[in-house]
Amino acid sequence: MTDIGRARGLDRLPLHEPARITEVLGDGAVLVQLLEMGFVRGTEVEVIKRAPLGDPIELRLRGYHVSVRAQEARHVLVELLK
Amino acid sequence: MTAPLRVAVAGNPNVGKTSLFNELTGLRHSVGNFAGVTVEVARGSVCSRFDVPRPIELFDLPGIYSLTATAEDERLAYRVLSGAGEVQPDVVLLVVDATSLARNLYLALQIRELGLPCVVALNMMDLARKAGLEIDVERLARELGLPIIETIASRARGLDAVVDALASNARRSHPWCVDVEDPLVERLSAQHGPAKARWLLTRAVVEGYAAERSELPVELAGGEAVRRAVIAIIERRYAEIDRILARAHSERRAIASPMTTSEKIDRVLTHRVAGPAVFMLVMTIVFQSMFAWAEPFMKAIEGVIGWTQGQVEVLLGEGILVDFISQGVLAGVGNVIVFVPQITLLFAFIGLLEDSGYMARAAFIVDRVMAKAGLSGSSFVPLLSGFACAIPAIMGTRTIRSFSARLVTMLMIPFVSCSARLPIYALLIGAFFDADRIVLGPFSLGGLMLLGMYGLSTFSALLVGFIYKRTIVRGPRLPLLIELPPYRLPRLRHILSKVWDRVRGFLRDTGTTILAATVVLWVMLSFPKPPDVELLDHSTPIEHSVGGRVGKAVEPALRPMGQDWRIGVAILGSFAAREVFVSTLGLVFGIENADGDDASLRERLREARDPRTNEPLYTPLSAMALMVFFVYAAQCMSTLAVVRRETRTWRWPIFMFCSMTAIAYVAAVVLYQLGSLFLSFVPVAFA
Repeated sequence: MTDIGRARGLDRLPLHEPARITEVLGDGAVLVQLLEMGFVRGTEVEVIKRAPLGDPIELRLRGYHVSVRAQEARHVLVELLK
Repeated sequence: MTAPLRVAVAGNPNVGKTSLFNELTGLRHSVGNFAGVTVEVARGSVCSRFDVPRPIELFDLPGIYSLTATAEDERLAYRVLSGAGEVQPDVVLLVVDATSLARNLYLALQIRELGLPCVVALNMMDLARKAGLEIDVERLARELGLPIIETIASRARGLDAVVDALASNARRSHPWCVDVEDPLVERLSAQHGPAKARWLLTRAVVEGYAAERSELPVELAGGEAVRRAVIAIIERRYAEIDRILARAHSERRAIASPMTTSEKIDRVLTHRVAGPAVFMLVMTIVFQSMFAWAEPFMKAIEGVIGWTQGQVEVLLGEGILVDFISQGVLAGVGNVIVFVPQITLLFAFIGLLEDSGYMARAAFIVDRVMAKAGLSGSSFVPLLSGFACAIPAIMGTRTIRSFSARLVTMLMIPFVSCSARLPIYALLIGAFFDADRIVLGPFSLGGLMLLGMYGLSTFSALLVGFIYKRTIVRGPRLPLLIELPPYRLPRLRHILSKVWDRVRGFLRDTGTTILAATVVLWVMLSFPKPPDVELLDHSTPIEHSVGGRVGKAVEPALRPMGQDWRIGVAILGSFAAREVFVSTLGLVFGIENADGDDASLRERLREARDPRTNEPLYTPLSAMALMVFFVYAAQCMSTLAVVRRETRTWRWPIFMFCSMTAIAYVAAVVLYQLGSLFLSFVPVAFA
C-alpha cells in the first residue's frame, strides 16, 4: 500500500485502519482539549464508526471511545500503520 | 471537637465517582452551588458505619478530564482544588477507572502537580480483572507517588480502606511536575514555579492569548512558542503515563476490554438504520411520558388543590382572607407542585439514559442535525422536553457541559410550544374557525392550524438558537469530544437520589418565586373590589381591579394587534401560567371556571361587539394574531423563575422576557396589519 506513512487528517481515515498520530494542528481551546483527551503525537487511533448521518465519528484511542466531529478531527494528522 | 477533614472527590466522568460518594455518605447529602457557578456540588459526611477517627466531609466535584478549565465544570474543579474556592480540601480522593488508566491518569498527574495530598481509589477492579488486566498496584503507587486503594464502588468494596487512607494522608505533599525540555517552560518555571508556569501557558492558549497576558512575558503573548510549549507539556504528561503503565501493567494479556461488549451493543444502537430508529423510539417514550403519563398525576394534584380550596371556603366562609388563602396561596402552591410529576419523569429518564451510557450515543446520532442550528447533540433531549413543559426542560439543560451552549438552549426552550399553550390555541381555533372542516385529505382546518402553530414555534426556536449562538452568547468554541463510555446497568437507588435532589432544589429555590408571583397576580386581579352598585352596568369585578385597569391602560398598544383591554387582562393573568389565560378571560366575561372547551366562552368571544360601533370585537384575524403572540411571548413566570435559578442571575430571565415580548408583539402586529390590508383588497370571509 502506497498510503502507508502518508499523513492525512483523522477525518479522512478509513474505518478500522489502525493509524498513529503524527501531529496536532490548530490552536486555542480546541487544540488544548484534543491534546488533553489524549490526542498526542505517537498515539495509536482507529475509526470505529461513522454516525448515521456521516458525522461525528467514533474513535478508539488509549483504551477508550470518543465521538469527534469531522471539523475537529481534521486537526489531527495521522499515518496508517501496518 | 476536631474540625472535619475536608475531602474533594474528583475523577473523570463515568468512573463510578458518584457511586463511591453515595456509598461513603450513605446517600445522605445536600446539593449546592458555589458563588457564581451554576455547576452543582453534592456535599455529605462519611456515614457513621465507617470507623473514622475524625469526621470527614466529602465534596463530590463534577466529573472532569482535566484541570485546564475549558468548560465550566473544569473551572470549578480547578478553583476548589487549587484552594481558590470557598472550601480548601485537605485531601483529594481521586477516583480512577482501572480499565482505562491510560486516560484516567492524566488528571492524577495534574493533581500531583498541585501538591495536594491525594488518595487514589482504583475503581472497577472487578471489571479490570475480568478484562484480563493485571495491574501491579504497589508498583503503580510507587511510580505515581500516591497511595492507591483498590475499590469496587458498585459493590461497596474497599471503602474502609479508603476512609483509613483519607484520614492518614492529610499531609501536604510536594508538588511534582514532569520535566519539560522547553526553553519557555523552563524560564517561566523559574519565575512562577513549575505548576503555575504550566497552568499559565495552557490558559494562555485556551483563552486565545488574551486573559492571562498580564502574567505572561509580553513578547510571548500570541506566539507560536507558547503553543509549542503547551504541546510539549501535554505530550510529556502522556509520555509519563505510558512510562508508568509500562511498569505497572505487569502482564498484558489479550485484552477483552469492557468496550467489546459495548461495541456489540452498538452494532445495533448506533447502526446506520437501526440506530436512528431506536433513538426515535426512546425519544418518543421520553416525550410521551412527559406529555401523557404525567397527566393523571398533574390532574390529581389539581384535584387535591381544588378540593382543599373548596374545604377552606366551606370551613372559613367567605371573605377576603379566605380568598387570599384559597385563590392566592393555595393556587400558588398548586402552581408549584403541578410541575413535580414532569420534573420527576424527565430526570428519571435522564438518569437512566446517562447512567446506562445511552445518552452519549443519542448525542452521537443526532449531533449532525443539531449542528445545523449551531448546537450539539446534548441539546436534543431538553429541547424535545420543551414541547411538554419548559420548566423541566430548562432544568434538563444541566446535561450540557458548555455553559454557552447550555444558555442558548435555555433561551430557545420557551419558544417551543409547551402543552400549556394548547388550551389557548384550542379556545381561539374553536371560537373563530370552523375547526372540523376537512380541508386536505384527512386533515381538518383546526388540526392544520394547530400544526402551523407548532411548526412556527419549532422553526422560531431553531432560528433564535442559530442567531444567539452567533451574537449574544458566543462562548469559546469547544470541540465536541464526547466519551462513549461502556454500557452499564443503571442503579435505581442513585437515579432516585438524583431525581429527589432536582425536585427538592426546584421546590426550595424556584417554588418560592412562583408562589410569591401567584400571590402578587391574585392581588392585582382582585383589588380594589368594586362597590356593588357599579356592577349594575354589567361590568365584572375583575374590570375594577388593578389588573383590569392595567389592561385598559395598555389597550392603545393592543389595538394594532387587533386586541382590546379584555385580552390585555387575560394576558396579564396568563403570566401565572399560560392556561390561566382561559379562566381569566372567563372572569372578564363573567363566566366562572372556564376552560379551553368551554362552549359558552367561545360563543361570548365570537358574539362580543363594540357597544359604540357594533362591530365584532374579535375576528378570525385577531384570533390568529393572538395565537402568534402566544407562540412567542414569555408568558410564564415559572419559566423565568427557573431560568433565574439555573443561571444564578436575573439578567437572563429579564432579557428573555423583554426580547420574547417584543418579538411576540411585533409578530402579532405585523400579522394583523398585513392581514387587514390584505382583507381590504380581497374581501373574502375566511372562516
